[in-house]
Amino acid sequence: MREKPKQVPAFFGPASAARGETRWQPSADVYRTSNGWLLKFDLAGVRLEDVNVQLQGCRVTVSGVRRDWTAEQGFSHYMMEISYSRFERTIELPCDLANARMALEYQEGILLIRVTEEEEGR
Amino acid sequence: MNDLESVRTLPLLPLKNSVLFPHLLMPLSVGRQASLAAVEAALATEEKELVLVAQREAGVESPRLEDLYTIGTKAVIKRMSRPSESHMELIVLGVERVVILKLEQAEPYLKARVRVFPLPEEKTAEVEALHRAVVELASRAMSLAQPQVPAELSQLLASTEDPLRLVYLLASMLSLELAKEQTLLEVQSRGEALRLMHTYLAHEVQVLELRSKIASETQTEMNKQQREYFLRQQLRAIQQELGEKDPQQAEIEQLRERLAKLDLPEEVRKEAERELSRLEKLPPAAPDHQVIRTYLEFVVELPWRKGTEDRLEIARARQILDEDHFDLKDVKERILEQLGVLKLNPQAKAPILCFVGPPGVGKTSLGQSIARSLGRKFERMSLGGLHDEAELRGHRRTYIGAMPGRIIQAIRRAGSNNPVLMLDEVDKLGRDFRGDPAAALLEILDPEQNKDFRDNYLDLPFDLSKVFFITTANALETVPRPLLDRMEVLRLAGYSEEEKMEIAKRYLLPRQLKQTGLSAEQCAFSDETLRQIISRYTREAGVRQLERGIGRVARKVALRFAEGNTTPVPVRAEDLADYLGPAPFLPEELRKELPPGVAIGMAWTETGGEVLYVEATMLPGARGLTITGQVGDVMQESAKAAQSYIWSHAEELHIDRNLFKRAGLHIHVPAGAIPKDGPSAGITMATAMASLYTQSPVRNDTAMTGEITLTGLVLPIGGVKEKVLAARRAGIRRVILPKANDKDLRELPEQVRSEMEFVFVERLEDVLMAAIPQVEEKLATVKTG
Repeated sequence: MREKPKQVPAFFGPASAARGETRWQPSADVYRTSNGWLLKFDLAGVRLEDVNVQLQGCRVTVSGVRRDWTAEQGFSHYMMEISYSRFERTIELPCDLANARMALEYQEGILLIRVTEEEEGR
Repeated sequence: MNDLESVRTLPLLPLKNSVLFPHLLMPLSVGRQASLAAVEAALATEEKELVLVAQREAGVESPRLEDLYTIGTKAVIKRMSRPSESHMELIVLGVERVVILKLEQAEPYLKARVRVFPLPEEKTAEVEALHRAVVELASRAMSLAQPQVPAELSQLLASTEDPLRLVYLLASMLSLELAKEQTLLEVQSRGEALRLMHTYLAHEVQVLELRSKIASETQTEMNKQQREYFLRQQLRAIQQELGEKDPQQAEIEQLRERLAKLDLPEEVRKEAERELSRLEKLPPAAPDHQVIRTYLEFVVELPWRKGTEDRLEIARARQILDEDHFDLKDVKERILEQLGVLKLNPQAKAPILCFVGPPGVGKTSLGQSIARSLGRKFERMSLGGLHDEAELRGHRRTYIGAMPGRIIQAIRRAGSNNPVLMLDEVDKLGRDFRGDPAAALLEILDPEQNKDFRDNYLDLPFDLSKVFFITTANALETVPRPLLDRMEVLRLAGYSEEEKMEIAKRYLLPRQLKQTGLSAEQCAFSDETLRQIISRYTREAGVRQLERGIGRVARKVALRFAEGNTTPVPVRAEDLADYLGPAPFLPEELRKELPPGVAIGMAWTETGGEVLYVEATMLPGARGLTITGQVGDVMQESAKAAQSYIWSHAEELHIDRNLFKRAGLHIHVPAGAIPKDGPSAGITMATAMASLYTQSPVRNDTAMTGEITLTGLVLPIGGVKEKVLAARRAGIRRVILPKANDKDLRELPEQVRSEMEFVFVERLEDVLMAAIPQVEEKLATVKTG
């Protein structure tokens, strides 16, 4: 640490994070479907019961915890790239989802959220 | 947020030289054992949190709690890799600032209880104002920064609403010192943070502005030069378009034409053309341009092969020489001889003459009339006081302000390669550490070497062999021998009163009358008047004072005519006091009677000759020989030789030997203030001693000169003419001279020879017999007895 390390602003830092902690953001893909949206979150190693999905207006917020359950006594780290602990990711969709239905599915480490828009007047 | 969450126990990671601010990512490299352990511990937890805190001193290897600041930053490890067992690379993200409350554990790593230490929210107008000021200043700084700040970063700055985040972000961009960063981390309020950042930024902006000012100044300087260059190029283009030649090119063309027309030696032409092509390649602004141009112009102006044609009419030359100068037969003969030689062999080398004589005898004007009689150009330069060899030979062109030497300059002034070049005062050359000009003259005056005389400036051989060199000197003693050896010495002795009369009548008077605008009838000088001026108003070997005297009288007469007088004014001898004041010199009266111990000698000086009364006296009780009167070594030795001879021949001279034992001897040679040297007073001093010891006075009408040896031989001396004339001026009519000098009488005017009696001697006894009447009787009796 001879040279002064250069600090970099955390561009995608959790601006909305609660005070006192930072939450990591899982990567996401979003598809437009014939009748709604398909949201895909990379949440490998997260148990489904630790995930909380909220729908609010046109926002979908996924939050939760990835527990570091592999760490055992006597291990020492050689490399660490996976983010643990609390995560939160909000995706804003360009429409009102007040009447939409939502279905969760968890497959091989990927969380799938299917949002189906209800036809008006149905 | 409850208390449990705001107080935590976390590993500490000491930072050596930086502070991590919240919301910022920082790469870290960890190597210390304790630090590695702290990171391990943090990674073992799910949150992967630890506290980063700066060390007060970067040099401490194993810091304890007191070595750390109390306020640090809680951070999350985002990435970790371990290139080797003892080295970790981390990327940490600052979360919030914490204050260390208590150390929980020191080994194997520091672990402490920390409490979150947030800043109170502030929404005052002051904070708002400060925020805006900081944003403004920051954008100023970014616009000045080199290299430019990425656009994303400036956008991020603009969109940051929380003033604290803004401050942290800016702090990460400025390179602040550790202490400043820590101060920023420890602030008590957002307002304070903003104020601090404002100060830092203001400083940064100042530095950046100064830097850009320096950068732009150098830029303008460059632009100015480029502009001038372009304008010049355009000017050249315009001139070409108009069919005009560029002035530089025109100048070179002109030089080239002149070179082509000149008759130059091959070597000179080659060199000149080479310099010319160099000149063409140089831009006019180059410092060498001017140097080369001056050089070329000089080369072109020199008379390399241009000489004047000699007028080889001997009769005419003789007439000119006689017109300008009275007498000086030897010199005139020599000039005419040269003319004769040139007539038979036009390629003959010019002689190098040296005129030696007192001031005012016409050496310089003789040079002029030689040039006139030959029909050559005349140039003269004085070497008096010249002490730098480079004055004669020039400076090499590498020196700034280099010039050719005086010789070459004189040749250029003359405009011909065969002028009469007069080097005045060759006996008054100086010499110092810069070199000896006499040595340079050796080359210049050597007919074998001066064919290829190389001036340092010119650096080309110039033929000086056709130059008629004449040097002048008042005395030859100070002229270096090798130099003297190269010259043909012609002596111009002083003039006698009769000669002066002739010169005054023929040359001086007409010249002065012409200058004052009088006719010979208007202002009539009688012979007696001139004689009076010569004998009572002047005392010199030459005729300068005489000419001045005549001039003064003539001017006074001219004034009378100017005031309305119309009748001719005869200048009578008795009126001279009115014109010139009382006469400064009385005709030298013979001392009526000389006491025993006084003898009359004659001396040669640079200004002619003089008569000296050598005095000798006995010093009862003292011993040895005392000599006074600024007497040089040679003269002192000569006095000792005289003394030894007298003492060793005491019997023959009937001198009582006890006199030598009882008393010392003092010889004085007046005038006491003038330095004297040379052996020619030897017989005079011997005579004075003999007269003293025998108590018999020397004849008061007899002067003598001659060198003496221990065996009593009398050796010849120089300057006979001047000495005899001086004796005659002093009223002496009898002169004792060494036998070997009888040939020199030829130099004397006929009138002087007939008036005076000359006694030629070979031995001191002859001198004594001729000078002391009583000794004559004694010696005569010895001889007869």
